[in-house]
Amino acid sequence: MKNDSQNETESRKRLMLLITRHQRQIFGYIYALVPNRYDAEDLLQETSLVICEKFNEFEEGTDFVAWACQIAYWRIRYSRQKFARSKVVFNQEIVDAVAQTAGTMTSELDRRHEALGNCLQKLHPRDRELVLTRYEPGSGVEEAARRSGRTLQTAYKALARLRKLLLDCVSNQLAGRGAT
Amino acid sequence: MNLADKEILELNELCNALVEGMLNETQKAQLSHWLATSEAARQFYVRAMGLSASLFSYAGEMQTEEPEAAVSFAKIIHVGWWWKWWKFGALAAAASIVLVSWIEWPRQNIISAAAPVDEFVAQLTGSKECQWVDHSSSAQPGGRLRKGQKLELAKGFAEITFDSGAQIVLQGPASLDVKSAWAATLNRGTLKASVPPEAIGFTISNPKVEVVDLGTEFTMFADAIGAATEVLVLKGEVEAQPNTGDDQQPILLHEKESRRFAASGVSSINNSEQKFARFTQSVSLDHFIPPTAYMHWSFDEADGDIFKADTCGTPFDAADLRLENISPSGFATAHGPGRWEHALQFDGHLFAKAAFPDISGNTPHTVVFWVKVPKDANLSNAYAMIAWSMNSKKFGSHPIHIGWNRNPNEGTVGVLRTDYGGGFALGSTLLRDGRWHHISVVLIPGEDAKSFVEVKQYVDGRFEGEGKSSPPGSDIFTKLSSATSGTVWLGCRLGIDGVRQERFRGEMDELFIADRALEPLEIVQLMKDNQLPQSELAAVKK
Repeated sequence: MKNDSQNETESRKRLMLLITRHQRQIFGYIYALVPNRYDAEDLLQETSLVICEKFNEFEEGTDFVAWACQIAYWRIRYSRQKFARSKVVFNQEIVDAVAQTAGTMTSELDRRHEALGNCLQKLHPRDRELVLTRYEPGSGVEEAARRSGRTLQTAYKALARLRKLLLDCVSNQLAGRGAT
Repeated sequence: MNLADKEILELNELCNALVEGMLNETQKAQLSHWLATSEAARQFYVRAMGLSASLFSYAGEMQTEEPEAAVSFAKIIHVGWWWKWWKFGALAAAASIVLVSWIEWPRQNIISAAAPVDEFVAQLTGSKECQWVDHSSSAQPGGRLRKGQKLELAKGFAEITFDSGAQIVLQGPASLDVKSAWAATLNRGTLKASVPPEAIGFTISNPKVEVVDLGTEFTMFADAIGAATEVLVLKGEVEAQPNTGDDQQPILLHEKESRRFAASGVSSINNSEQKFARFTQSVSLDHFIPPTAYMHWSFDEADGDIFKADTCGTPFDAADLRLENISPSGFATAHGPGRWEHALQFDGHLFAKAAFPDISGNTPHTVVFWVKVPKDANLSNAYAMIAWSMNSKKFGSHPIHIGWNRNPNEGTVGVLRTDYGGGFALGSTLLRDGRWHHISVVLIPGEDAKSFVEVKQYVDGRFEGEGKSSPPGSDIFTKLSSATSGTVWLGCRLGIDGVRQERFRGEMDELFIADRALEPLEIVQLMKDNQLPQSELAAVKK
């Protein structure tokens, strides 16, 4: 009995460690397939619960992110079947194709995430505030526009420009050319 | 194959439109074509979406961290996501481990909330020939009592109703410390406690014993020198934990049972029969419940897309509630069976509003209604069951929203949440279960700009969460919203310029808005009977 209890505790610790380390990557994968923040967060929660339930099926030493993303993928398929008003923007063939591509890019996306932290620091504070306000929980472009004193239209344009700037900055960093 | 610059620009534009929710059908077809036919396009798309996913992460962390923590984004992420996991871990645990005892959770709930400086947790609701030892230890009739407040009663009786719904009649001479909505300390004297089922877990302690109420009526007497405390159970049962003596095992005391707790140990009470006879006698008290004015929408009968209100004591005309954003054929599905006869069914698109100037004034209100949230409600359907704006700079431009929490950084997703300028309150019952829940939110804005805003939430009659301050750095804009003021809104989220895109999905029934802070027992009665106590209705505000 004691051994069972110890194993259970160890298993929970491993689960905690793995989710702690990889939850952001799982969210990124879901968001690529379901490009709506709230729907993706819903699906992340559902996926997290399934991961907890099925964790005893996870084989130690194999790729946890890949395993978790498979669970997320099936949650997304289930979501499409279950809801008449689908959370999924694209048809299943495209979701499958994107899922295939995203599955091969997890380590690159990890490096891009780290690089983005540096790129954000290089932005002008006013621009950085605009971007972060836009992405804050419960916020959006309207709120970002209001706080920065921009019109809604100007905020949309500025955000599009800044996203491209950040995308290029991250790509340049990964290519070893430094940030612009 | 690499993408040409022109193709990158086109894809970038499509991804931007997608991220902002502005992708039209033509663009969707273009993006779908790209994703279906080009691996390079798919890689670009995954990187672009990954950028936004990372920005959600960074922005979420920045909102919850102190401003000076902005030094290293890369460093923050590890701490932040660990914390986020903790929240999800709690969610997972909630799904698999539901054995949270009635006794433990209310106290955990209170402890987890940051206590405001002026936290009111109880009210003096009745008295008889009441005399206080001095001014500093007194309480005004009907007055709110702070956490930590000491009451020194020289003689007479004082009835204290805690926000949990527990009620104490203190008999002077007596000394009592109000510890929280769920706890008090009897230093000396006699009290009689009545604890309804919604307040099970209420605790009274002193150096000799801690009594946890399991839904009952009991009396406690602490002698003046602190040598001994007696506990007599009049109805139900209590758990008594001795704080002194060799044997400190908790004792379960049933109806008509009693014990004496002293340094020498636990013993029976002399003359217990006489004491039971004395304490079962009821004392007639003067109560301080003010008259109540209210508006009520039953949603039972409709005139087209309009629902009439019935009113009591309010100087305003009955405020018709009108459905918005509904097609002519959509009414049948918007009006269906409810908790009491009929209810309004919000499909994630329609909303409703009613003129109600009083709602935006700087006065207390209690908003009470039934709600049923489907199990598959999305996070975008969280805002709001009820919303309104305040004409007060203290609340700034932030409207008051009653909905369910969708922010895992701040609490369990799916619990009742009330947002207001400067703070928010979170409950603990998961509302996304497809069942009817009775919701009450008490808002006491305070008399002036400096006074503390009290927000108390009740779910199914049980006290569940109170207002706490927003994280440091949260903005409160002082510009007031004239676009949303003087109106009560159902089923939508408000911005400073009007209704925002988010819509609530679920059903609502029997909305009451009262012009004062209803007491916990009144809330329970309203839940059970769907009407306020008749004695209240006789005394109408002029």
